[in-house]
Amino acid sequence: MILVVLRVMALGLWRDRAGLVLTFALPPLVFIVFASVFAAGANGKLDVKAGVVDQAASAESRRLTNALSHQLGGRLTTYPDRAALLDAVANGRVDAGLVLAGDLSLAPAPAIVLVHPGRRAAGEVLTAQVKAVADRALPDVMMEREIVRLGPVLGLSKRQLSRLSGRPAPAPSAPFVTQQMLGGGDPMVIYYAGAVSILFLMFTAMQGAMSLIDERRAGLRLRLGLSAGGVAPLLLGRMLWLTALGVAQALVLFIVAMSLYHIPLVQSLAPWAVTAIVAAAASGGLALALAAACPTREQAQTLSTFVVLILAAVGGSMAPRFLMPAPLQALGWLTPHAWVIEAYQAILWRRIVNADVLAAWAILAAFAAAGFLIALTLESRRRL
Amino acid sequence: MAAEPPEIVLRILDAHRRYAQSAPKGAKKAPALDGVSFQIAAGEIYALIGRNGAGKSTLAKAAIGALALQSGTVRVLGGDPAKNRAVAGAIGVAPQDIALYGHLTVAENLYAFATLAGVRRGRAEAVAAAMAATACTPRAATRIDQLSGGWRRRANLAAAIVHRPRLLVLDEPTEGLDSQTRLALRRLIIDLKTEGTAILLISHDADDVRALADRVGVLEAGRLVAEGSPANLMAQAFGGRQDLTVLLNGPVGEAEKTLVKSGLVTSDAGVSWSGLVFDAPAMASRLDRALRKRGVEAGEISVRQPGLDALIAWACRAASSLETAA
Repeated sequence: MILVVLRVMALGLWRDRAGLVLTFALPPLVFIVFASVFAAGANGKLDVKAGVVDQAASAESRRLTNALSHQLGGRLTTYPDRAALLDAVANGRVDAGLVLAGDLSLAPAPAIVLVHPGRRAAGEVLTAQVKAVADRALPDVMMEREIVRLGPVLGLSKRQLSRLSGRPAPAPSAPFVTQQMLGGGDPMVIYYAGAVSILFLMFTAMQGAMSLIDERRAGLRLRLGLSAGGVAPLLLGRMLWLTALGVAQALVLFIVAMSLYHIPLVQSLAPWAVTAIVAAAASGGLALALAAACPTREQAQTLSTFVVLILAAVGGSMAPRFLMPAPLQALGWLTPHAWVIEAYQAILWRRIVNADVLAAWAILAAFAAAGFLIALTLESRRRL
Repeated sequence: MAAEPPEIVLRILDAHRRYAQSAPKGAKKAPALDGVSFQIAAGEIYALIGRNGAGKSTLAKAAIGALALQSGTVRVLGGDPAKNRAVAGAIGVAPQDIALYGHLTVAENLYAFATLAGVRRGRAEAVAAAMAATACTPRAATRIDQLSGGWRRRANLAAAIVHRPRLLVLDEPTEGLDSQTRLALRRLIIDLKTEGTAILLISHDADDVRALADRVGVLEAGRLVAEGSPANLMAQAFGGRQDLTVLLNGPVGEAEKTLVKSGLVTSDAGVSWSGLVFDAPAMASRLDRALRKRGVEAGEISVRQPGLDALIAWACRAASSLETAA
């Protein structure tokens, strides 16, 4: 009897291909995403994007910049001045910035790492990398600084130090690299408000879109198919409902965030509303496409769980994107999540509506339109 | 002056449809519809009967434009319901499942379907009229998922007629209903017919078909194998024979010869005997006496009109012998 039950259960799983995928493919996929994020973070091997300004313009600073560029590959951008670098850091185009501000041998802290509070980890990683690269590429300079630092401990006079270093009057006692935090507040709260908002928008939209399948099953679709406007208004009505529901859900979440963490929601209400609308529409469009593609509710439920979790993991709803390896970060741009999170960060933390925000809005609207059109095509062709 | 013939509301001509996935790999695909042609006039009820899988649902879907034919034409009031929204709006459908929103009340459902069907003016009146016609008014404010099966069937029918369609497709409209509700719904369907609605009725219920249909079409393997009025088809099929059933209370014993000689056969080792016989009431009395004489007690002897299954089986046999002869 026990064997019969085992056989029935096993056949049930074997014949439910979507269930098989969910059971055996989703866990390793989610594991890969998390492992690549947190293992890299723990080892300090983050693919940090950095910017640099060489104000020192010396032979040593050029050596350091070249070595750092080699170390970071294509992830180091050179900026002409400090203001441009500050702007890049503040707008999230780079995760952290490096200013080489003075004589690398003599100045107290010639290398300054600029970081905003939402990406403290990136600042730590860049600081460690600058130190390591300087030790390798500028052994003479670093040795000099060590001699100067240790001079008082070893009882060396200024004259002796000057002779050893071959320079006039060594002074530094500060570390080679220091960090400077930009701005205030806690952008991670805004990050996670956006991240959690889009995660649950997806869940809500998927659940709402399931009504398409329920209607097919109950025979309602047959009756609705005779409606005056055909399939398009039926889908558009659903899309509008899912969008309205999503905006209401996001509003509740951000009101809580505003009450508890003082997110400037009221001050940025208009751009927030646009972001919430396009984010909810993108979720609604994708959910409708998925529901239209699935013949049964069981399939849709399995597939939607798969899609929601994978998009959330890759798109940055579960772990900050800047902690991910570069290929995964690039993959994240294929999800609505990454665009939603970036848009909310720009609007609510940096308080700007720039070209990046406009691009995010356009891409989210494109997600919505594509999802809707796919759903419309599939539903129009569906045999009842 | 001769009266004008009634307007043809639904005309299906040489409909062919084959499902891609209907046959196992390598096997020949059986057609769901294989050259079906028929028409329904205004104020006529056409009943479509057939075994499960004969193609009734496929034909009904094709009739309302929800299913594309591979060849052949469907015209409702002269237009293609799949392409012409105005024509589609002239069709009402009451599927076998209760095709209503369970979380809405009867009135809310009807209002929604009236709007979707394009009723612009007088929507409230249309809803009230549909509820009155189906006697749903006392349950107007009750949610569908809180109604009994009979009320749900009425509401399902109300949603199909709320926009006053010219063609009404009813799939098993009285299934699972008590006799009182069944009679009430039959009366309603006859009222709709009297108002000029053309009705395509799909049913397994012989009483519904006899009581309602002007014409019956028997569908088998996607082909219309017989067509005519219920009385004519029954006469052709059974020639006045009726279904006689004898249920025995004990072992059949020596009475077996008598039963077999009377043209009855058993399907369950001698407890129940049945067959189509002429002059069934007289035969029932004779059998009763003969059984008593042999000391066998009959629990029940009943005489009924032959059912649809028998009619379908006859139509299929007749079509098959015609094919063989050809």
